[in-house]
Amino acid sequence: MSQNLAKLAQRIDFDQSSDSEQDGPERESREPWSKPEPEEDEGAVKFQPSLWPWDSVRNNLRGALTEMCVLHDVLSVLKEKKYMALDPVSQDPSVTKTPQVFQLISKKKSLATAAQLLLKGAEKLNKSLAENQEQRRQRDFNSELLRLRSQWKLRKVGDKILGDLSYRSAGSLFPHHGTFEVIKNTDLDLDKKVPDDYCPLSVQIPSDLEGSAYIKVSIQKQSPDIGDLGTVSLFRRQPKAKPASQTWHVKLEAAQNVLLCKEIFAQLSREAVQIKSQIPHIVVKNQIISQPFPGLQLSISLCHSTGEKRSQRASPEKSKPDDHLYVLEHNLHQLIREFHKQTLSSVVMPHPASAPFGHKRLRLAGPMAYDKAEISSLQQSEGLLEKIIKQAKHIFLRSRTARTIDTLASRIEDPQIQAHWSNINDVYESSVKVLITSQGYEQICKSIQLQLNIGVEQIRVVHRDGRVITLSHQEQELQDFLLSQMSQHQVHAVQQLAKVMGWHVLSFSNHVGLGPIESIGNASAITVTSPNGEYTISVRNGPESGCKVLVQFPRSQAKELPKSDVLQDARWTHLRGPYKEVHWSRMEGRNFVYKMELLMAALTPCP
Amino acid sequence: MVCVCVCVCVCVSVCQVPVAEGKSVQQTVDMLHKKLEQLGAVKQGNFWVDCETYQATGNATGQPTKLLYVMHNSETPLSSMALFEGGPGLTADANFDVLMVKLKSHFQNAKGHKVESRGTRYRYCDFLVKIGTVAMSSSARGISVEVEYCACVIPGDCWNLMKEFMQSFLGSSTPELPAVFTSKAEGLYAPVDCMDTMSQYLELFGKVRKQQVLAGSGVR
Repeated sequence: MSQNLAKLAQRIDFDQSSDSEQDGPERESREPWSKPEPEEDEGAVKFQPSLWPWDSVRNNLRGALTEMCVLHDVLSVLKEKKYMALDPVSQDPSVTKTPQVFQLISKKKSLATAAQLLLKGAEKLNKSLAENQEQRRQRDFNSELLRLRSQWKLRKVGDKILGDLSYRSAGSLFPHHGTFEVIKNTDLDLDKKVPDDYCPLSVQIPSDLEGSAYIKVSIQKQSPDIGDLGTVSLFRRQPKAKPASQTWHVKLEAAQNVLLCKEIFAQLSREAVQIKSQIPHIVVKNQIISQPFPGLQLSISLCHSTGEKRSQRASPEKSKPDDHLYVLEHNLHQLIREFHKQTLSSVVMPHPASAPFGHKRLRLAGPMAYDKAEISSLQQSEGLLEKIIKQAKHIFLRSRTARTIDTLASRIEDPQIQAHWSNINDVYESSVKVLITSQGYEQICKSIQLQLNIGVEQIRVVHRDGRVITLSHQEQELQDFLLSQMSQHQVHAVQQLAKVMGWHVLSFSNHVGLGPIESIGNASAITVTSPNGEYTISVRNGPESGCKVLVQFPRSQAKELPKSDVLQDARWTHLRGPYKEVHWSRMEGRNFVYKMELLMAALTPCP
Repeated sequence: MVCVCVCVCVCVSVCQVPVAEGKSVQQTVDMLHKKLEQLGAVKQGNFWVDCETYQATGNATGQPTKLLYVMHNSETPLSSMALFEGGPGLTADANFDVLMVKLKSHFQNAKGHKVESRGTRYRYCDFLVKIGTVAMSSSARGISVEVEYCACVIPGDCWNLMKEFMQSFLGSSTPELPAVFTSKAEGLYAPVDCMDTMSQYLELFGKVRKQQVLAGSGVR
């Protein structure tokens, strides 16, 4: 046991510190040293077995004690601070011996090389980017040019690219050149922000085609002041976009429209001056005024706003925005395009070199010895102005007819007037079917059906019974005619009703020659008698005088008749006697025919 | 452009009215105008018919030179008619005159022989009456009256009506049925051609020219 203890004691390593955790790795590093030590110690112990087993321990302890004493002495001397002072030990000088300047320089150098590489790379990138952009701009310009060329005619003159926006290739004979220039817009500063509406291509249009234009056609009551002519304010609201920044197609289209409007107006004014008509047309500045109907004025004006003068003219006519007949403006455009097409149509082209321009049938006029009537039928005799005036007249007449019928329909409830307008119209002709009926009796009383054909200056009325009446453009004529037809309808209705109710028609007249004279049309009258012959109803209806209904009673019911000696037989009292007027306004019933039906029913006794 | 075609025309009769005794051409024309206006005709503008003579060159000697007459009528303003006397006729475009200029070597224009008739045109319902002064080298030689019945193209059907109408204002100078109609193969019942009108005018102009040859300045 003591040998074991001695071995164990020799194993104690006095070099090791007590806190083993921190010095774990040191312990591990020391372990291999400590291991050979006990082996050495064991070897030493084995070599000297006669020695005291605790000798080494005692030596170690003694050594430790010596060291501790020395340490204690040093510390106590230090405490006094008179003979010994602590001085920190300087760090390893060999490690920090290289000066900071060198470090700086080396860092600088390395950074410089890195920077140079980066800069070179960036430069290359920049260059390639710039090239790309330049190419793209060029390509953009070229692609825009291609797009432009696909829609417009371009040609190269010198180093300029010119285009043609006139209608000459479509058959127009207007002398405007209509050339626009294509401008390259590629010198844009890349550093600055590219504007949103940037386009590498821009066009320069002729200065007189700038802005926008339209042709305003309107019909007004004749202005009493001649001085007012030509001062009609003509601008509508300006478009919001600034003209400078519009893309080329918008600009070109607007310019082409201005050119077309100018051509239309030039053609119209030329015709207005040349063509002789009963009432001459007035051409003032940019307005053509003519009188389609007395008291009415048709004005065709060219409204051209160039965009710069924005608030120059206030528009006093803004209050009548629907004055502008858009249909006629559209028709003007169509007519001028038709005119263009005619110069290029296959009827005209191709043509022999020696033949003049014109319809190809005209070439036969010589050999076929056409006379003047045939020649004029081949040639176009009507110009643009005449056509548009005719169309305006028709539109006006049609709207006025509609208004007349509508006012009558709203004013008069019995009988009712219905208008069925035809959907298919011509520029010069429209038609409407007017039916006059009584409410509730449409199947019975349908004898008044009028077909109105509204032409340019006249209205032709075709009656159901075959009569054809031509009315002029006067509003009053149509109104009077319809009123007279309505009064006739009532009497016709009684006739039809009599058929249904079994009453017999004794007399019927559309135009009665007796009674007060009507100022509109004629009064009509009918006399119907009951099935058993006892009662008779007499109706007289006039457009102005209204209706008068009289009932004839049998003599037996009349109290005023004096008894006479001549008529002794009782059967004579069954004959009809005096007439009595019916208070028609106090009669029950919602309309005339209903009242009549009630009256007839009242006078037909039950069997 | 130059072709012969059959065209539909109206029945026309052309005759010459002799100048009244002791009166000038103009006065006779005025008399006729007055008669027509009394009848109820309405003046409808002017008319003219002219005739140019071309001589065919290059003929063998001994044969009479053929004369080609090129005529124009204001009723057919775009046509020119070319005919030989008693021979075939041709209706062509107005460019025919230019063609004749190009054919100068074959047809020479006898400029002094141009005859024309100018005057007024009256319309009376379906009748068209043209009274013209026939002039040769700007001296009045006679009066031509053309009566046209627009409603019919067959002379056989309307000749009697036309004769009656002409009698109402021409009186005794009413002509007989023109030879043109009778000389046709189908006779009176063939439809009328504008050539027939022109042949009648040619006949009339020929007569006027002969009158010049026969009586010097007798006719004024």
